[in-house]
Amino acid sequence: MKKVKVAFFDFTCCEGCQLQVANMGEMLLDVLDLIEVVEFREVMSEKSNDYDVAIVEGSITTSHAVERIKKIRKTAKVLIAYGSCAAIGGINGMKNNFKLKEIREYVYQKDAKHFDTIPTHAVHQVVPVDYTVPGCPVYIPEFIQVLKAALSGLPYNVPDNAVCVECKLNENECMFDKGVTCLGPITRAGCNSWCINNGNICYGCRGMVSNPAENGQKDILEKHKISLEWIENKMNMYNKSRELGELK
Amino acid sequence: MKQVSLKESEYAVKKGKIVRTKQMTKMEKLFEISLPNGEALDHEPGQFVMISIPGVGEAPISVSSSPTSKRSTFELVIRTAGMLTAALHKLDKGDVVGIRGPFGTGFPTQILEGNDLMFVAGGLGIVPLRSLINFVIDNRRDYGKVNILLGCKTPRDMLFGDEVKQWEQRLDVNFHCTVDKSDPAWKGNVGLITSLIPGVNLDSNRTFAVVVGPPIMYKFVIAELLKKKIPERQILLSLERHMKCGVGKCGHCQVGEYYCCQEGPVFTYEQIKGKHEAL
Amino acid sequence: MGKYVTLKKSDFNEFIEKLSKIKPVVAPVAKGKKSFAFAEVTTGEEVALQYIPTILPPKKYFMPQKEKILEFDKKKQDWTPILEYSEKIIFGVHTCDLAGIQSLNIVFTTKPKDINYIVRKDKLVIIGLECNNYCDEHASCAVMDNHLPNGGYDLFFTELKNSFMIHVNTQIGDEIIKRIKLFQEAKKQDFQQLDDLRAAKRKIFKDEVKVGHEGLKNLFDKSVKSKVWKDIDSRCVACGNCTNVCPTCYCFDVKDDINLDFNTGARYRVWDSCQNENFAKVAGGESFREDRGSRQLHRFMRKFSYPVEKFSRYFCTGCGRCSRTCMAQINLKETINALVKEKK
Repeated sequence: MKKVKVAFFDFTCCEGCQLQVANMGEMLLDVLDLIEVVEFREVMSEKSNDYDVAIVEGSITTSHAVERIKKIRKTAKVLIAYGSCAAIGGINGMKNNFKLKEIREYVYQKDAKHFDTIPTHAVHQVVPVDYTVPGCPVYIPEFIQVLKAALSGLPYNVPDNAVCVECKLNENECMFDKGVTCLGPITRAGCNSWCINNGNICYGCRGMVSNPAENGQKDILEKHKISLEWIENKMNMYNKSRELGELK
Repeated sequence: MKQVSLKESEYAVKKGKIVRTKQMTKMEKLFEISLPNGEALDHEPGQFVMISIPGVGEAPISVSSSPTSKRSTFELVIRTAGMLTAALHKLDKGDVVGIRGPFGTGFPTQILEGNDLMFVAGGLGIVPLRSLINFVIDNRRDYGKVNILLGCKTPRDMLFGDEVKQWEQRLDVNFHCTVDKSDPAWKGNVGLITSLIPGVNLDSNRTFAVVVGPPIMYKFVIAELLKKKIPERQILLSLERHMKCGVGKCGHCQVGEYYCCQEGPVFTYEQIKGKHEAL
Repeated sequence: MGKYVTLKKSDFNEFIEKLSKIKPVVAPVAKGKKSFAFAEVTTGEEVALQYIPTILPPKKYFMPQKEKILEFDKKKQDWTPILEYSEKIIFGVHTCDLAGIQSLNIVFTTKPKDINYIVRKDKLVIIGLECNNYCDEHASCAVMDNHLPNGGYDLFFTELKNSFMIHVNTQIGDEIIKRIKLFQEAKKQDFQQLDDLRAAKRKIFKDEVKVGHEGLKNLFDKSVKSKVWKDIDSRCVACGNCTNVCPTCYCFDVKDDINLDFNTGARYRVWDSCQNENFAKVAGGESFREDRGSRQLHRFMRKFSYPVEKFSRYFCTGCGRCSRTCMAQINLKETINALVKEKK
């Protein structure tokens, strides 16, 4: 099999998801048998304009970034939104809680006018995306699934049921029974309830389930005695960008 | 966890070699498949197989050829609809697929013997029904009157055009055809398949109606057949359901207490008329 | 048939230790304050003798969440059917879960038989444990007739005052008793205690719902057009928790996973749920249970109606897991009572 040329790109993010690639261990060697990495800022200085698959980390927060991602989209046959920032806007979306002018002045103070900024967008809100790997950071087994799907031209859909489902299958004690609130009931599964398995709560980094059973969702919040405002607030940590439509 | 290989398993697949393909319409492709050492599939009309591509998945597909036509090969007509069928469409002569089956309860050819038959095929329904039609034609002397009612969306969606022409020309078959939407070259009927039924001259007590089509079609066709006084147990239907195992376990194909892959896909109307989710 | 022995409570730890030297032992262990799960144990102290039904029932040992059924090699055009199993002793199975295992046995030994299940089941030893009281308000084991032992075990433990009364039900069970030399012959007063306990249980375990055992099937058969399903439709979030935790839900999906060499890989059975939107969707896009109410109706029918037609047996064990786990508080006992009320 001819090696597929893959380029990693980062936009507004911490680059932690790219670091996860290094955490793949032995599996990384198998992956490198399949792909030829032509650009990856964290590990190499080469740049390339010749690639088949673009793995894009980070959210789109400047007009310069908008142009750059459009260029990448034109070159790449397959575009993978990689990590929460790219997939759903991620924590950069918290910026959208404020008026753009105010937040720019707050951050850059007197130099604000030199810094261009736009509301935080997920990649799919700017250009079409073929595959999505949400997560902060990405869950490597899911990334491998997506990579396999992308390289064999098969679809991959991020699960649209709650993290609670996987959490039950892992037989974890419910965080709510411990007296702790957790975003598992409204967050998309696919991470194998990674955080809860390790004693942490779910922060909603994979985006919200699209489940429209409104009464059911209310019942869930009521069962766990959570107010709607509280949950919105918590959810906005990763998911504020969901309020935006496509960037025109 | 220990792991051993099994000699026998419900999930064992046979190597199915594609010996011929034919693109029938934009969406449908025919595959002629042979099993190792010329082994016959040994199916009955109306049964299905599970076909798979390793790494992509498995799906149920009805056998379209009659066991009377060729012993060493069988034919599947596959519409591209999902991941697996799209991958199957990329395969060609010489490629190998996994085959399990045949599964399910097919058309009761013995019970049909000696009776008049009315075949009602809508859209893709002709694919499984062709298996029975050709079986009956190959044993033509053993059956009474044969009516074939065929309906499709447009003339371009017509499957098995050459074969259909032959059915039309036979003196021992009454053939009726309609399209939902005509084109300039079409000279036949235009309208839904239900419009053909009232015009068929039949002896209701000795007629078996065999109906295969998209789920939406059944209710309307059955209403017409009942108007013709065809007894409920003489109305045979083949139900389409999602299936994963083919052996009555996975639960996907359940209709009431029946598993479509075991007790079906062929049911009499009498069997399923009370089931709230059957039709 | 009637062999009974006793085990002093003070010998229980030693019993589990010795048992775990025969084969790996799994038993209910506490997971935090309110939850329990079957997990491997080597000492008696780890075992939770008082437990409410575990998050997942012991079905996880009989039909694993993800089970390899086939391996393939594309280049070699080779497909090999696979069987996965592990030898275990399952200690502490409540009567509701014994009934669940019996239900699964019926399904997978019905033709066409499932060889993977049958072999795996035969590698498991089952030791039951009696509930002397209700576990919690969600249980409805009495109406399902599963509050007392109905077989399905090799050994069955009942906790008495100072000892365990043990019913030795099979040769396999007897061999364990003989090998672990900690048991005494059951005496008259032990039998008396057991009888008293069962008599007391018959008084406690009753009237969980407003319909009797016999009436349940008819109640559900006539409920197809009920408003109860409309209410449930507006509340269910289709997460599938209820079916995952059900001891008798056995639906599965079949999925392929190819290795990174894009040549070898395997086919798996993985748990699936009739509550998922795509569960009954056919290639043409039609779904036969599009709304959540009809999918919940289907789940209930698969417990209270269809298996009765097919196997003369309810597939609800009364364990209460579906109610305990439901995120939207859909409750089995309330659902049954709502249907009874509506009928009146």
